[in-house]
Amino acid sequence: MHVKTRANKAVAQAAFGALALNAAFPALAFASEEESGGLSAILPDMAEFIPMLIAFIILWIILAKFGWPMFAGMLEKRENTIREALKKSEEAQIESERVLAEYQQQLADAKTQSAQIIADARAVGEAVKADITAQAQTEAADMIAKAKAAIEAEKKAAVAELQSSIADTSVDVAARLIGEDLTEGEHRAIIERYVKEAGSFNGN
Amino acid sequence: MATNRLVVKEEVAVFASVLFDSANGAGGQEAVLQVREQMAEVIRLMRSDLDLTMALSNPDFTPEARRALVENVFAECHLAFREVLAVMAERGQADLLPRVNDEFRALLGERLGICVVDVTTAVPLDDGLRQLITEKAEADLGKKAVLRERIDRSILGGIIMDVDGNYIDASMISQLNRARNVLKDTTDGGEC
Repeated sequence: MHVKTRANKAVAQAAFGALALNAAFPALAFASEEESGGLSAILPDMAEFIPMLIAFIILWIILAKFGWPMFAGMLEKRENTIREALKKSEEAQIESERVLAEYQQQLADAKTQSAQIIADARAVGEAVKADITAQAQTEAADMIAKAKAAIEAEKKAAVAELQSSIADTSVDVAARLIGEDLTEGEHRAIIERYVKEAGSFNGN
Repeated sequence: MATNRLVVKEEVAVFASVLFDSANGAGGQEAVLQVREQMAEVIRLMRSDLDLTMALSNPDFTPEARRALVENVFAECHLAFREVLAVMAERGQADLLPRVNDEFRALLGERLGICVVDVTTAVPLDDGLRQLITEKAEADLGKKAVLRERIDRSILGGIIMDVDGNYIDASMISQLNRARNVLKDTTDGGEC
């Protein structure tokens, strides 16, 4: 678009040059108008054509000498500018894609980490739950065992006490019967039997 | 220390020998046996009464006070025994009485050739039982046996024979106590 504008400006400058030549040679223009008619009407008037040709050639030389390099330089500069801009935009696009990929990677990592954290937390929670459950079960088992042991001990103590009481009563009854019912003769008979059955004083 | 032990041993032997000779000279075998019984009784009393034991050897008391204590407490004992015990108390050696007793009992066998059998029964012995026990003791020990009888209704029945600490306990109370312990120690009574 910019190049087109520049070209239009160059054509306008050439037309301006031609108008300037016409202004410089006004007599040639009036002469041609007076001799017109027939075929000559469509043929250029040499007197008019040659100066215009010369002016055109001069203009072309001037333009070729000074205008065209300037125009080419402007085009080249513009081309370079556009190339640089394109290059920068490509680089920016590459950079943006890289950053985007990096962000996406970071996002994926973050998602992975968050998932891992959630999984770890869940695992820890499960472990804690299992520990608490196991501990509660152990404590309950201990309490039950202690209660059973206490009950068993109480039972044994009661049985032992009852047994002891029965033994004491039985022995006391036997002692009373022996003390009251045996005559001296029976006592002596028992003593005689015991002495005969007793072991030796030497322990043999 | 070895010297001290030997000295004490010698002193114990002297006390026992003097006591034996005094009792034997005063009343013969019967007096010796009487002293033997009284000495055993005093030893039991001293073991059960710690205050008496400590007082007889207490250095805070004068020797005369310790002698007076012996003469008052054991006034009914045989004179020979009381005098020897008083001398021991004066010297602060009343705690040696158990060793003197052992030595004294040894002298019975050595000098009189007898062994004393302490017999405890719930009823008095008759001559047949005395002869039976004497013959058994003489057969077992190879010495002339002398019975010292004691009646104790608490043994319920049977007999306890003791020769210088060698017991044959055939009393009813011991058998009943053994039966009582067996009944109490049986643990399968409650495992129905």
